[in-house]
Amino acid sequence: MATNDTLTVALKGRIDSGNAADIEKEIQAQIDAVDAGSLILDAEELEYISSAGLRVILRLRKKYPDLRVINVNSEVYEIFDMTGFNQMMKVEKAYKVVSVEGCEEIGKGANGTIYRIDKDNVVKVYNNADALEDIEHEREVARLALILGIPTAISYDVVKVGDSYGSVFEFLNARSFAKILADEPEKFEWCAEEYVEMLKKIHGTEVPEGKLPSIKSEFVERAGRLKEHLPAEYSEKLIRLMNDIPEVNRMIHGDYHTKNLELQDDEVLLIDMDTLAVGHPVFELGSIFNAFIGFFEVDTDGIESFQGFSAETGRRLWRRVLELYLGTKDEDAIRDVEDKARIIGYTRLIARSVKRGLNLEGQGKAEYEIWRKNLMELLDRTETLAFDPDQSVNGSDPNELDIEAITENLPKVLEFIDSKLEAVGCPLKTQMQIDVAAEEIFVNIANYAYSPDKGMAKVRVEVGDDPLHVSITFIDHGVPYDPLAKEDPNVNLSAEERQIGGLGIFLVKNTMDDLTYEYINGSNILTLKKNL
Amino acid sequence: MLNINKNLDGEKLMVALEGRLDTVTAPEFETELKDSLDAVTELIMDMKDLEYISSAGLRVLLTAQKSMNQKGTMKLINVNDTVMEIFDVTGFVDILTIE
Repeated sequence: MATNDTLTVALKGRIDSGNAADIEKEIQAQIDAVDAGSLILDAEELEYISSAGLRVILRLRKKYPDLRVINVNSEVYEIFDMTGFNQMMKVEKAYKVVSVEGCEEIGKGANGTIYRIDKDNVVKVYNNADALEDIEHEREVARLALILGIPTAISYDVVKVGDSYGSVFEFLNARSFAKILADEPEKFEWCAEEYVEMLKKIHGTEVPEGKLPSIKSEFVERAGRLKEHLPAEYSEKLIRLMNDIPEVNRMIHGDYHTKNLELQDDEVLLIDMDTLAVGHPVFELGSIFNAFIGFFEVDTDGIESFQGFSAETGRRLWRRVLELYLGTKDEDAIRDVEDKARIIGYTRLIARSVKRGLNLEGQGKAEYEIWRKNLMELLDRTETLAFDPDQSVNGSDPNELDIEAITENLPKVLEFIDSKLEAVGCPLKTQMQIDVAAEEIFVNIANYAYSPDKGMAKVRVEVGDDPLHVSITFIDHGVPYDPLAKEDPNVNLSAEERQIGGLGIFLVKNTMDDLTYEYINGSNILTLKKNL
Repeated sequence: MLNINKNLDGEKLMVALEGRLDTVTAPEFETELKDSLDAVTELIMDMKDLEYISSAGLRVLLTAQKSMNQKGTMKLINVNDTVMEIFDVTGFVDILTIE
């Protein structure tokens, strides 16, 4: 017997012991006439159903285990609910019908249009007519996010709008971060900080198992889709790198760009939750890279119509987000994570083009070529896609301090060093000598390393044995400079003859037990060692 | 942080330092001192509560010493051990008058 299409049968009026047998015969006749493969009962006009009617549905379900009853009004739904029918089969409530005719259109996104239906409410009408599952999914994950502490807007009703479905939200007098950046460029730093704070909050959220899909499996699949588009060794490496990313249960938004972050009064809200997943934060960084740079690498003006700000702002934002997220201005550290994020980003972009039927003409061709070329270059120099997410989410190595090299930060540097020295019971006098030396080195970096610009310094404190000693390492990426090479001042001269300079380094040399300076890969590395 | 307490008595200025004399606080001390030295012939610095001195602080002391050499005397009193050690290493014990 050939399996045919789904048959939808309308149930009308009252079904009770008086007419149940007739109705069953009638339905059976319709089924036989079309040789239906599956069955849907449309209860839109059903007013009442008794146990005799329910038994008819039970018998139909034996033949059609995936039987669905749809458009059930609330009185009838109560009967299904009380008798436990809605646990046995799919019983779908009727949705309230809403008209958007004459309503103000207040926004348009990739998957729907937002209308204001009255003073307090908006409805997001989905383009896709069978969006019901997506809508329910988004409501569910948004609720989950809210429970886990992520501020978001939740739709409180699903309605029918013409042939489509819509989600009803409270009307928010909110502005997206994209709009703030476009209208008030002076708020750039504030936007970047808030944006990263929310990002860390998302990634710091652990999600109970099974609640959200894994983003890694999507990317393993995407990497597979690139097989015919990369030389074999690159394709294999990409698949291996993807597979090697550890599964972690951190929340990932999946589409975290500046239109999905809104400011309402003083509260920052995350919206568009349908892509919520769990996984390693590198996947998120990949999609952020795409939103600000990757998508627009050829069509550089495209970002203007999407986000409302320029490609240059997009690049600056990406850079600042990385610095703030990673808590460093260290070029190498940022470059390393950026490389990983770009591999994720390009994999997604190429896989997306492939899925949409590769267009190898004009812009499509140029994009495909540049993304592919960049991806291969990145694969040449990358051996792992994971990084330690705790470093950004929970703070960095406790023995290291990354700090902007400005003299105003000196108290912070000494406080950091002193806290480590106190922990090992360093005598006060030694502590002062170490501080004097550390001050000298740090102030030197602040004044000269990046002059006239500013840059970062890293301070690392280590304690070692045999004999008990402490080493303090200063790393900067400024101009190569060996302070130890400076000539010592003549300490036997009178005040009039003494020069102001050179004193500090002299002090350092005479109070520390060992000093080393190296210039490696663009970094000045100076280590002070003092025996305790 | 550095607290500077000045007490001018005729041509004699007594300056008590409390806290840290480092890169951050030295400029303020230098300005403070420069503005008060005009009619001073005797400068006394009380270092009893000075906990810390770095090369930036030493530079200010050196400048003050040079300027006082032109017109009078300067001496440091109540210098504690750790600060004295710094004066020792740098040869400042020979330049400054320390009681």
